[in-house]
Amino acid sequence: MMAFLYGAFLQWKLDIRSKTLLITCYIVPLLFFAIMGGIFTSVMPEARHTLIQSMTVFGVTMGALIGLPPSLVEIYSSDIKKVYKANGVPLYLGLVLTNISAYIHLFIMSIILYIVAPLAFSAEIPENPAFYFAGLAIFIAVSLSISSIIGLAIKDRAKTSMVSIIVFLPSIMLSGIMFPVELLPKAFETAGRFFPALWGYRLMADSTFQFKNLLPLIAIFILAICACGILLHKVDK
Amino acid sequence: MNEAIKISNLKKSYGTNIVLNGLNFCVQQGEIFALLGVNGAGKTTSLECIEGLRKYDSGSITVNGRMGIQLQSASLPEHIKPLEALKMFAKWNKTTPDKATLEALGIYELAKKQYYQLSTGQKRRLHLALALTRNPDILFLDEPTAGLDVEGRLSLHEQIRRLKKMGKTIILASHDMAEVEDLCDRIAILSEGKIAFIGTVEQLGKTVGKHYNITIQTARTTEKYESDNIGETLLSLLTQYKEKEEPIVDIQINRGTLEQHFIKIAKGV
Repeated sequence: MMAFLYGAFLQWKLDIRSKTLLITCYIVPLLFFAIMGGIFTSVMPEARHTLIQSMTVFGVTMGALIGLPPSLVEIYSSDIKKVYKANGVPLYLGLVLTNISAYIHLFIMSIILYIVAPLAFSAEIPENPAFYFAGLAIFIAVSLSISSIIGLAIKDRAKTSMVSIIVFLPSIMLSGIMFPVELLPKAFETAGRFFPALWGYRLMADSTFQFKNLLPLIAIFILAICACGILLHKVDK
Repeated sequence: MNEAIKISNLKKSYGTNIVLNGLNFCVQQGEIFALLGVNGAGKTTSLECIEGLRKYDSGSITVNGRMGIQLQSASLPEHIKPLEALKMFAKWNKTTPDKATLEALGIYELAKKQYYQLSTGQKRRLHLALALTRNPDILFLDEPTAGLDVEGRLSLHEQIRRLKKMGKTIILASHDMAEVEDLCDRIAILSEGKIAFIGTVEQLGKTVGKHYNITIQTARTTEKYESDNIGETLLSLLTQYKEKEEPIVDIQINRGTLEQHFIKIAKGV
């Protein structure tokens, strides 16, 4: 247990040193929030009702999809995995530790948004903070599970970034944070249902905890965990 | 002496390419044993099968003792510091890194550097230290001095000798013949997936015949010759020089190097 905790702490420190995760988990989402928060609330004053949720969905999706996969590629597509194996460290450890570290960073970023948005843009605080944070916790986990698939499946950093952006853009555009999903063409609306951002946004924006929003997230998470298990097994061969 | 490792009829293929074709050998406890072979002879595959990092097709491998492994190509996260890596691997293996070993390997001097800032030699030393965190009885070193300068090489040789004195069994794969000649108790030469020779350096010399290098210096030139029959060759050379009326200033005769013997066996010359 001590080894695991030390590993998680060490990974958290390494992520801070690496700067990549700092940029994707903090600087870019917060910068986006600073600019878009101002634009959204001045163009559509009613946007302040869901500003925290929409900016959080953007920040978490970006941090998870763009920030995590390169760390996984560094471990699993290099000689690091052999060193882990040769020194008696289980192969899943890299995946678990990078996920825990990214989870903590994304949660911290979300808390910063939660605190700053009402002060900077008079954003409305969620009606039920407990439900909001429960939804946030689930949404971060699901987003990271999707990122883990990308990080394990693709062996090259440049390709990883490309695939991450291909997943990231529709996630955000079809999630309802920019404009209501109901305004989208039917096909786009349906496509949006396959990404966790849409369900995460709904889960956090609803004043009551809606099981119908949670169920797709659980389904995506279970499928992603299974996919990660298979990919890890493949990496081990 | 007891056997630290016993390999029987080990076979491994990659598709239709047979890399190990019935490998048999033993490594005794406390000895430094070298695996030699030309590129693609199967040295790394053999080591990785023994280390449990690679699956093999058939045969048996018995390892008596805890293993420490330094890989030929190894890496760590680029922002990790040496002591952090050692601490993590030690915690995971429920051991404590030996301070004297870390000091001897110069790890404390690297404490403030991150992995990407280390030189090749420093990385090699760190990976050796990592392999030792498990307090192994048997240490595998795959091309341990590849890419090192002379100073780094000598320093690593010193550490390997120190580890032997501590009673560790060391198995190394190497291209460096001088290193093998200098460090190892026994060597095995791999050729076409099998052991072509196993024994001491002296035994290798006897197996392939007595090979000599002859250097003859005259007032005008210095000529080099090779011979498997020193008496006959010398007599012939002396006669030639006498006939040319070229007085000999100096003659040097050396035993053939391990490299010459190795090439003969590995390439079936």
